[in-house]
Amino acid sequence: MAYSEKVVDHYNNPRNVGSFMKDTPGVGTGLVGAPECGDVMKLQIKVNLQTGVIEDAKFKTFGCGSAIASSSLATEWLKGKTVDEAGKIKNTDIVNELKLPPVKIHCSVLAEDAIKAALADYKTKWIKEGAAAASST
Amino acid sequence: MDHFQVFGLPRRLAIDTVELQRKFYELSRLHHPDFHQAASPEEQARTLEASARLNTAYRALRDPIARVEYLVRLEEGRDTKEGATVKPKAPPELLEEMFEIQEALAEAKVGGLDEAGRAALVAPRDRLMVRLEQENARLVGPLTQGWDAAAPAERQRVLAAMKEALATRAYLGTVIDDLNDALGESLEGYVTHRRH
Ligand code: FES
Repeated sequence: MAYSEKVVDHYNNPRNVGSFMKDTPGVGTGLVGAPECGDVMKLQIKVNLQTGVIEDAKFKTFGCGSAIASSSLATEWLKGKTVDEAGKIKNTDIVNELKLPPVKIHCSVLAEDAIKAALADYKTKWIKEGAAAASST
Repeated sequence: MDHFQVFGLPRRLAIDTVELQRKFYELSRLHHPDFHQAASPEEQARTLEASARLNTAYRALRDPIARVEYLVRLEEGRDTKEGATVKPKAPPELLEEMFEIQEALAEAKVGGLDEAGRAALVAPRDRLMVRLEQENARLVGPLTQGWDAAAPAERQRVLAAMKEALATRAYLGTVIDDLNDALGESLEGYVTHRRH
């Protein structure tokens, strides 16, 4: 399959590969898998607890080139966004940016799932009083 | 017409494969182009279509696990693997475990594989293969029977269990593949998944 230039770029130079300690204050971890192919992806955010802004993001993906590119792109997009803004990132945004073909859509879904899971984990771990806001997503 | 209907079968999972094969040959002969040389072009086109449909149906039904996969898709009203409406939930511990094995594997590859390194990969590989077998047995055994015996109200529950088993199988299969790749052993035909 021919990958788009952007996929190849992220695949060859993935941004923000790595991980944070799970219990560092402000860190939210999302670990998700794609049942279509059995690939797994871990995505983490580090949120400034005062401002609610995502200061850093990291990922580790054991999957196809599109999944690696999707998660790499996602971490780039996440940095500097507020938690609420981050919740609005859609897999279709990723598909458009990376020009993913239909058979690779589930790879971008994986990235969206990972973002959502990381945000949810961040909220349950670090937002005690904001339980109502967290459950509305 | 769905694949079950092609063979005149109800939407049930327990299928006698010997009987299925017999029917397949019988219908194949019926649709064979050689018998339709005198037919009009339209009719020949129809025959060709019927024989293609028959082949696809046979391929989907003859293997008991492919059969479950097909049934799940059919019940969800979608033709391809993409766009699943309800995602099966993988047990979180399973994802955790698969992730850890992949991480260990990535590290082992960087260091190069010596005897001890290989042994450290063979052990989890064999363990996962046992679990894959168990998952397969669950699909072709209790879940297959469960579907056939289920009252309409229970079908969603059986369907969800089948989806979970299929997902688990996919996760196990991928990691087994990757471990085998690293070990330089590919068990041809054992795990069908190919990612790239
Ligand atoms: S093929 Fe599995 S995530 Fe892309």
